Amino acid sequence: MGILRFIIRRLIFMVALVIGVSILIFFMINAIGNPIDILLAERPGVTPEVIEIVKKYYRLDRSLTEQYISWLGNVARLDFGTSIIFNQPVKDLLVTWGWETMKLQVTAILISLGIAIFIGVTAATRQYSKIDFGVMSAALLGRSLPGFFLGILLILIFSYWLGIFPSYGAYSTRNMLLGSPLLDSLWHMVLPVSMLAYFNTATLTLLIRSNMVDVLRQDFIMAARASGLKSRHVVYRHALKNAFIPALTYLAILFGLMLGTAPVTETIFTWPGLGYLYITAIQQLDFPVIMGTNLVITLMLVTANLLTDIAYVFIDPRIRLE
Amino acid sequence: MEHRQIGTKADEEGKGSFPTPTEIDSRKHGMWSLGWQRFKRNRTGMVGLALVAVVVFFALFGPFFAPYHPNDQSAMLEFRSKAPPSLKNLFGTDRMGFDVATRVIYGAPTALVVGVGSMAIASIIGIIMGGFSGYIGGMADELLMRFTEFFLVIPIFIVILIIVRIFGIVVVGTALENIPYLNLSTIIIILGVFSWPPIARMARAEFLRLKEMEFVEAARCIGVGRPGIIFRHILPNAMPSLIVLIALGIGGAILMEAMISFLGFGDPKAISWGQLLYFNYEFLKIAPWASIAPGLAIFITVLGFNLLADGLTDAFNPRLKE
Amino acid sequence: MDEKTDNKDILLDVKDLRVYFYTGAGIVRAVDGAAFGLRSAQTLGLVGESGSGKTISSLSLLRLIPRPGRIISGRIDFQNENIMEKTEADMIKIRGKKISMIFQNPAYSLNPIYTIGDQLGEILIWHEKIKRGEANGRIAELLRLVGITDPESRSRQFPHELSGGMKQRVCIARALLCNPALVLADEPTTNLDVTIQAQILDLLADLKDRFHMAMILVTHDMGVVARMADRISVMYAGRICETSDAGTIFREPCHPYTSALLSSMPRIDQSYSRTEARRLTVIHGRIPNLIDPPSGCRFHPRCPHAVEACGEMMPEPEQIGEDHFVSCHLSGQIRKGT
Repeated sequence: MGILRFIIRRLIFMVALVIGVSILIFFMINAIGNPIDILLAERPGVTPEVIEIVKKYYRLDRSLTEQYISWLGNVARLDFGTSIIFNQPVKDLLVTWGWETMKLQVTAILISLGIAIFIGVTAATRQYSKIDFGVMSAALLGRSLPGFFLGILLILIFSYWLGIFPSYGAYSTRNMLLGSPLLDSLWHMVLPVSMLAYFNTATLTLLIRSNMVDVLRQDFIMAARASGLKSRHVVYRHALKNAFIPALTYLAILFGLMLGTAPVTETIFTWPGLGYLYITAIQQLDFPVIMGTNLVITLMLVTANLLTDIAYVFIDPRIRLE
Repeated sequence: MEHRQIGTKADEEGKGSFPTPTEIDSRKHGMWSLGWQRFKRNRTGMVGLALVAVVVFFALFGPFFAPYHPNDQSAMLEFRSKAPPSLKNLFGTDRMGFDVATRVIYGAPTALVVGVGSMAIASIIGIIMGGFSGYIGGMADELLMRFTEFFLVIPIFIVILIIVRIFGIVVVGTALENIPYLNLSTIIIILGVFSWPPIARMARAEFLRLKEMEFVEAARCIGVGRPGIIFRHILPNAMPSLIVLIALGIGGAILMEAMISFLGFGDPKAISWGQLLYFNYEFLKIAPWASIAPGLAIFITVLGFNLLADGLTDAFNPRLKE
Repeated sequence: MDEKTDNKDILLDVKDLRVYFYTGAGIVRAVDGAAFGLRSAQTLGLVGESGSGKTISSLSLLRLIPRPGRIISGRIDFQNENIMEKTEADMIKIRGKKISMIFQNPAYSLNPIYTIGDQLGEILIWHEKIKRGEANGRIAELLRLVGITDPESRSRQFPHELSGGMKQRVCIARALLCNPALVLADEPTTNLDVTIQAQILDLLADLKDRFHMAMILVTHDMGVVARMADRISVMYAGRICETSDAGTIFREPCHPYTSALLSSMPRIDQSYSRTEARRLTVIHGRIPNLIDPPSGCRFHPRCPHAVEACGEMMPEPEQIGEDHFVSCHLSGQIRKGT
C-alpha cells in the first residue's frame, strides 16, 4: 500500500510540474504582447478595429488567465489549437514530428544502455587490465566531447567525405535505400542516433563499471562464489542487479538531457522532430505550437522520471518499507 | 590550517617506543596543502589543469597576439574567403572572409566569462540556499528539496531558449536595448539561475553532514557564534565537493551557451564559439575548418574542466586502494 | 603436517601454502609457508592478529583468492585429493557442498535484493538438483534447526528485515545446506553483540556434533577458541608458529608469540594496576610489513627471547610432542616458559 501512495504522490507532483511549466511559458510568451498585435502590426490597411475583430475571432481578447484555463481545458480534450505558421492542427504536428523525435531518443537510450552494461561489466570484471584502462579513458573522453561537435564531425566524415550516410532529413525523397522505406529510415537514423548515444554510453559505462567494482568487492559476492555458484551467474544475477540500481536514476537524467537538447541534435541533422519544430515556433512566435511542444516534451520527461521512480521501488526492496 | 603533529617514532625493526613529537611541519598538513599534494600526483587532474590554463591564457592574452583583427574581412576582398588553412591563415578563413584562428581566439574570453560568470551566480545562490536549508532544516528544507526536484525534471534547455528569445523581443524599443552585450549577459544570468539547484543540493548535503560533527560541537562549546560556525568551520570543509561541482558546471555552462548560440539565439555582437558554428555550419562541406576550429576549442575547454573536476574529486576524497 | 600413523582419518592437510598479492606497492606475502590440517569432525582454531593471513588461508582452501592475489605454491589435500590440481569446474562442486564458509560480517554477506528463501534455494537447487518445493521444505527445516522461528515466513523476507544475530543464523544455515564435510567459520561472532555471540557459539557447537562436521574457526579471540576448538594453530605474519591440541596450547605454550598472546589476555582472576608487576602485558611493536618482512623468523623483532639465529634463519616446524609442533629455534628452552 505504501507503494501505491508513493506512486500517487509522485503522479500529483508530476502533473503539477507540467502545468506549472506550461503556465510559466504561457505568461512569458504573452509578455511580448498579444500575438495578433504582433502579427498584424504595421500591416497596411489594418486598423485597430480590424485587430479587435480578429482578436475576438481567435478569442484572444479575454484576460490571460481565462485564455490559459481555456487552453488547458482544450488540451484535456486533446485539442492543442492551430499552428500559425503551418495552419494545421497542432495535435497533428505534435504526433508526426513527435514520432520522429521518439524514434531517435528511444533507440539511442536502448543502444547506450545495452552497450554500457556489456562494456561496464566486462571492464569491472577485468579490473586493472588493459581493457579496463582503455574503456575508462575512452569513456572519460566521450563524456567531455560535446555531443553536437561530435554530430558535426560525424556528418563531415561519414556523410561528406565517405558518403556512407545521409546528412539530413529522416527520409529520402528519391532513391530510397534498396527501395525499402524501413531500411531507408534506419539508414537516416544511424548518424543522429550515434551522436545521441555516444555521451550516454560513455557516462553510463563509467557509472556501471564503477558500481560493479564496488559491488564485486562486497562480502555477499564472495559468499555466493563460496557457495559454489558459477562466476557468470554471480556477476550477472547478483552483482549487476545491485550495481544497476543507482544507474537507474541516472538514466532518467540522461534521457532528460538527451530530449532537452533535441533542438540542437535535430538542427544539426535537419531532422523533422519536436526540437526542430520548437525552434521554428520560437523564431516565428507560433504560440500554440510553442505551448503544445513544451507540454509534450515536459510530459515525456516527467513520465520518464516517474517510470524510473517506480522501477526503483520494485527493484530495490530496501526502499519499500519507507 | 596548521597544526602540530605528534607521531610515533618506531624504528625499522618494529620495536615500539614512547611517542615523541616530530618536527613542527607547518603548512604541510592543512586540508588545502594536502589536497594539492594529492592533486599533483593525479595525472588526469594535472592534464585538466593544463588545458584550462591554456584556455585562460588565450582568453587573457590572446587578443594581443592574434594574427588579425576579428572583424577583418579583407580576405573576402582578396577572394580568399572560405580558404583552407594556409600560412596566411592558420585555420583558414570562413565564409565572410574572417580569419578563423583570430575569431576562435577571441571566443576564449567570451567562453570563460560565460562559464565563470554563470557559475559564480549559481554558486552564490546555491550555497546560500543549500547551506541555509541544510543548517536550519524544517520547512525551508522541504521547500528547497521540492524546488531542486523541479529543476531536475524540467527540460532546462528548452525553457532557457524561450526565455532568451522573449527577452530579446521584449527589450526592443526600450532603454535596455543599448546596453552592450545585453544578450550575452542575459544568457549568463539565466544559466546561472538555472544552475544553482545542483549546487544547493550538494551544499545542503554537506551542511547536514558536517553540522553533526564533533568539531562543530566543540566550536560551539568555546563560544563561536552561528555565523562563525557557518563561515569558518563548516563552509571550508564543504568547499572541496562544491568546487568539483563548480568546475563541472563551468564546462557545462560553456557548452550550454555554445548550444544556445549555435541555434541562433546568441549575442550577435559577442564572438563566441557557438556563434562561429552558427555562422559557418551551412558551409560545412566547403569550409569545414571554420566549424572544426571552434568545435575543437569547445571540446578542449570542456574536457579541461571535466578532467580538472575528476582530479579534484580524487584529490579530496582519495579512494582507498586495496 | 600431521605425521600420524592413521592417515585415513585426516580430512585436510595443508603444506607450505604461499599466497602472494601483486600490488602496485610491491608483493605482499600474505601467507608465506603455512601448514595446518585437521581430521574429520575435528575443530581447528586458526588464531592470530588481523593481517596474520588466517582469512586468506581459509579462502585458499576454496581457491577464491581475489585479484591481485595468487596461490603461488602449496599442497592442499582435502579428502585425499589435491585441491591445487582441480579445475574450476571441480571446485564449483566442492564449494558450498563439501567445503562451505561462514563470513565475518553477516550484515554484508547476504544479497540485499533477494529474499532469504531465494538465496538459499538457489544454492540448494544448484547443487542437489531438486525441485523448488522440496528445496523450500529442506530450507525451512534447516532454518528451524539454527534457531529461527517461523521459518516459512522468514524465508520470504529480505536480509534487512532481520537482526544481526538472525542474519548470522541464516548464514550458518546456508553453510550447512548440503551437509559439508568441512565448514570454514571466519570470525563468525566478531560483529555480533556480546550476548548473541554466546548463543551463536553454542549453536555452532551443537550443529558440529549433530552433523559430524569438521570446522576451521578463524579468530583472534582466544576465548572463542578455548571454548570451541579441539586443536589450535597460531598464526603470525603468514606463517604458523605453533600447533597443538587446545589444552596444550593454553597450558604449555612453547612459542614466544603464543605465550605473549595468552598473557596479554585480561584474566578475570587477576587484578591489574599501574605498577610494573601488575600491568597487563603488551606485545611491543607492530605486525611487520608483509611486503618487506623481517628476515628469518617473522616474530624476532618483537620477541623477548630472540637470539642472532632468529634473524638469520627461518625456523621450520618441529614436532616436540605427540601432537605439538612449534616453529622456533628456541623451542627446547622455552618449553616450560612464561
